Amino acid sequence: MTSFALYARSRALPTTLAAFAAATLFTLWAATRPETYVDPQRRIPLLALAPLLATSAIGVSLHQYAQELDRTAARPWWRLRLAHLLALTALAALLLAMAVPGHSQEFGAVAMVRNILGATGITAAAAVLVGARLSWLPTLLYFGAVFLSYSAPHLRTATVWTWSMQPGPQRAAWAVAMTAFVVGGALYVAVGTRRERERS
Amino acid sequence: MTTMTRPTTGTGAVQVSGLTVRHRRTTALDGVDLDFGTGVHGLLGPNGAGKTSLIRVLATVARPTGGRVELFGGDLTAPRTLRDARRRLGYLPQDFGYYPGFTVREFVAYVAWLKEMPADTTPAAVERAVARVGLADRIDAKIRTLSGGMVRRVGIAQAVVNAPQLLLLDEPTAGLDPEQRVEFRSLLRELGEEATVIVSTHLVEDVAAACTDVTLIERGRVAYRGTPQSLAALGRDGDESDGNTTERGYTAALRAHRTHLTGGGQA
Repeated sequence: MTSFALYARSRALPTTLAAFAAATLFTLWAATRPETYVDPQRRIPLLALAPLLATSAIGVSLHQYAQELDRTAARPWWRLRLAHLLALTALAALLLAMAVPGHSQEFGAVAMVRNILGATGITAAAAVLVGARLSWLPTLLYFGAVFLSYSAPHLRTATVWTWSMQPGPQRAAWAVAMTAFVVGGALYVAVGTRRERERS
Repeated sequence: MTTMTRPTTGTGAVQVSGLTVRHRRTTALDGVDLDFGTGVHGLLGPNGAGKTSLIRVLATVARPTGGRVELFGGDLTAPRTLRDARRRLGYLPQDFGYYPGFTVREFVAYVAWLKEMPADTTPAAVERAVARVGLADRIDAKIRTLSGGMVRRVGIAQAVVNAPQLLLLDEPTAGLDPEQRVEFRSLLRELGEEATVIVSTHLVEDVAAACTDVTLIERGRVAYRGTPQSLAALGRDGDESDGNTTERGYTAALRAHRTHLTGGGQA
């Protein structure tokens, strides 16, 4: 077995890919239903849920069962962490963007890619701060809070808070998502995940 | 500190001076000076004495709060020295964790990859390491199907796969049955002929049987350093119902250190 295969299995990447496939099929099914296809506003929940599923899988894949041994590696981890995060984010963005055909200027592929980038950034930062196994939780809480509060009239224009609910080309929403991705990703690449097993 | 006959440790693979480690408000190590060369060195001490903190600093997984640590003559603050040191050390943590779907062979090969061992020599090195701990017949078994003692032996196998010049073992005999412990001590003596082996344990009999040198740590300080024989000599006059001579010597050295710390020795 090659070292790449060992690394991939150590991070449960086959399971992550299976989660991506499930999220893609679910998104494709939901996005191509007649009522959702005709009315792009109906896609808004999907543009929150699909990135949540994909980035939860990415976050859990960052977990290291043998973290104490991994930390004695001569191999520089930052390159692997960077490649790991970029490859999975790109794959999730590609698959899920293709699963939302049409309406790219409203709630379609562009907004999906943006939300995946932003959610990945939050999840990566959470993996550093609370550990990889629970890294999906802050993203879920944030997306859930935005989704529930979005109907309040004064919040509809608060792009910094509701970036994940904005139409695709909204520049400010992209700026927030990209900032989250760059900051969260850089933090993870530089520091790695929080140590989860306390020594006795 | 009580110091008896100082064993010969050869050229020091490990040199530690003024090492201090603090975890929030607790001081795990307090200005420790130590050096270790070729041989088997036992770290003894009660729970919470600072043994694991010392091992983790030497394994490069924890950063000291203060002091200086040199491995193989190089200061670990330099990235190149750190990387070189990591290639040359083996480490068995108390709780090493393993990837649930991995076989013994895969897990040991994974650690070889972490150590940047050449791909062409890895398969033979993995088989050799697994055979050394007596698991050759289980090399393709999933680790999760093994008993606790066998998992511990997998941990030892991964620690020796790169033929380390510095081997750090934290409670290596935990979970091993008496026969396995005897075999393990024999392996330790064999490894200690060419490498620096540091074994943290609270089992005095392991130290007495396998170590060339014993360092007793208590409350983050070195309480005693000497040979197992000199430690046993401290307990020669005790009550036999209080354990064997090494155990009595351990207790006597601890008491002497505590008395010294509280100023009782000056009275």
